[in-house]
Amino acid sequence: MRRYWSGLGLAAVVAVAGCGLGETGQQAAAPDATVTGEVKGKVTLQTWALKPKFTAYVQGVIDGFERKHPGVTVEWLDQPGEGYSDKVLSQAAGGSLPDVTNLPPEFALPLVKQGLLLDVSKADPGVTDEYVSGGVAAYTYAGFQGVYGYPWYLNTDVNYWNSELMTRYGLDPKKPPADFDELVAQARTLKDKSGGKVYLMSRKPELGDLVQAGVKLMSDDGTRFTFNTPEAAALLDEYRAAFKEGLLPRDVLTDTYAGNAKLFNEGTVAWTTGGGNHITSLAVDNPSLAPKVVPSPAMGTPPLYVQGLSVSSRTKNAPAALALARWVTSPENQAAFAHLVAVFPSTKASADDPFFSKSDGTNAGEAKVMAFRSLAQARMLEPVVLTEAMKKLIRQQFALAISGEVSAKEALDTAVAKCDELLQN
Amino acid sequence: MTHRRWFTPWLLVAPAVCWLLVFNIWPSINTVVLAFTNAKPLGGGHFTGLANFARALDDDQLTDALVNSIVYMLVCLPLLTMLPLLLAILVEKRLPGITFFRTAFYTPVVASAVVVALIWGWVLDDRGLVNGFAQWLGVVTEPVPFLTDRWLLLFSAISLTIWKGLGYYMIIYLSALGNVRRELHEAAAVDGAGPVRRFWSVTVPGVRNTMLLVSVLVSVSALRVFSELYVLSNGTGGPGGRDMSVVMLIQLYTRGFSGHLGYASALSLVLFVITIGPMLLLLRLDRKGS
Repeated sequence: MRRYWSGLGLAAVVAVAGCGLGETGQQAAAPDATVTGEVKGKVTLQTWALKPKFTAYVQGVIDGFERKHPGVTVEWLDQPGEGYSDKVLSQAAGGSLPDVTNLPPEFALPLVKQGLLLDVSKADPGVTDEYVSGGVAAYTYAGFQGVYGYPWYLNTDVNYWNSELMTRYGLDPKKPPADFDELVAQARTLKDKSGGKVYLMSRKPELGDLVQAGVKLMSDDGTRFTFNTPEAAALLDEYRAAFKEGLLPRDVLTDTYAGNAKLFNEGTVAWTTGGGNHITSLAVDNPSLAPKVVPSPAMGTPPLYVQGLSVSSRTKNAPAALALARWVTSPENQAAFAHLVAVFPSTKASADDPFFSKSDGTNAGEAKVMAFRSLAQARMLEPVVLTEAMKKLIRQQFALAISGEVSAKEALDTAVAKCDELLQN
Repeated sequence: MTHRRWFTPWLLVAPAVCWLLVFNIWPSINTVVLAFTNAKPLGGGHFTGLANFARALDDDQLTDALVNSIVYMLVCLPLLTMLPLLLAILVEKRLPGITFFRTAFYTPVVASAVVVALIWGWVLDDRGLVNGFAQWLGVVTEPVPFLTDRWLLLFSAISLTIWKGLGYYMIIYLSALGNVRRELHEAAAVDGAGPVRRFWSVTVPGVRNTMLLVSVLVSVSALRVFSELYVLSNGTGGPGGRDMSVVMLIQLYTRGFSGHLGYASALSLVLFVITIGPMLLLLRLDRKGS
């Protein structure tokens, strides 16, 4: 028996040794170096769910790069939409991160902390001049010098209204709500006129809504959350009153982010928010609804969504990796991509492209132009340090607040305490 | 006479031993080790002693999850131990067309838990089949919040688990009932015992060991429930996350780049301990009964 326990103890010691645990703290980010050298050899590019819809486009971009740099071979990996973060995580942990990887800013941050991404502003000083400031800022992190990704494409939200439902139940789709108070008032009209069959509002408030209400989410040094303010509590109380009045479906309590869009696409609710291409994708899901949708600009500050390409700090072919990332995110290639799908280029040179600023007269075209114009004011509303666990805990506490199970203040205090705990651990 | 080398048997068992060490023993030991650290998926972290367990004691979400898991077990255990036995007795009879019923009861077992939960989600939704029908009949004026009320959601998931598990445990009982000697039933009938008396005096003692096995399987499955609650609550864990099971809570802390592996491992150990508890209790009861 004693031998058994000592064996187990030894195993535990071996396990601890194997875990590689030790004081890591904030690791130094990627090594400083201005990268120069010939662009040749093999380089890997990883994208996120672009096959099969955009296979031809990406392959064309790769072919162009290989023609421009004879002697370069690009290996293109495309990962499915589901479980992308887990895939990147396993690649990073296993030391097999591709040379160039499509990473949104919140995915890039943990890799930056581990020193796994290259500071592209050091390696390629032009990055801060040639890309829009919002895009560059998205890959600039508190506590780390430099920029850790080339902004690739941008998007923002606009409002979408079901004009048929609005007209049928006494609302004017040409005068959609412009702020929260108007939204609640029109939601009340819709509910009364439809006998509670149709809703205008169908999502819980999120951190972005708190920002719109003037709430500061984090301390300046980014070490703690600060959104448990009276203003935030007042907003949750307004939502609670609306929920109690039956202006939102009960499903919002167990809703996910997609729930709102799903209900809109089903024709159950009359309002949703979405990117500039929402009507185009709606035409596939519900072709009869798409022509009846009217867009309007987002209420308050529009949210900014950024996608980018980051370069592995462990790449064995930095010149080719940087050249490839820059090539994929060049104004010409971004413009070609934006013509295929309603996303917007992140390069300053693309700002004058009439394709984005002139509508073709369709509602989808109007939405695209609206989204493009909104980009100038758009900013990332949620801090990049928010993890999936934090987001879920916040959503849960907000659900408790609007259902009336706990007070708004209690819900906010709990959410802040839990998020701080996760942030510090 | 062939000369056997001393290491031949070791060579034969080596693949299995290696498999066990790499995929069973090592992850288990690693989980125990990680429970005392604040490790992250990308490495790093350091020894934090009992901090994760202290945090767990203070975690109201874990309290809710434990309550949910224990309620789940307490409801599922008697129902999934007795109902499949009664069902097995019904379909054991050799009647024309009985195979159809056996297959029908077993069909939910074959279906994926996620698919079944999705279908039940549509059925129980505020705008789903049940609420639509009930409102059409005028039984209710407002939709019954099957998926948006803490306890209704939990019991909807429990109903789904029971519905899906009936066929599985029925098959186990069917094989056990085949081992109960017919002569015992005949002798009891001659002595004047009715069907109920024969059930308690002949059938139940005859399948006692199988009942114990089923009880252990049901308890462990109930404490480790995930799919039903996850899908029915749209991944949110119900209103305010109050319908999370312990496994859902573990999943919450392991997801993404910034997963909290240390705390999740500590929760896994808590789950392991509470899963072992009912098993030991049932075995003890069995020994006492014997």
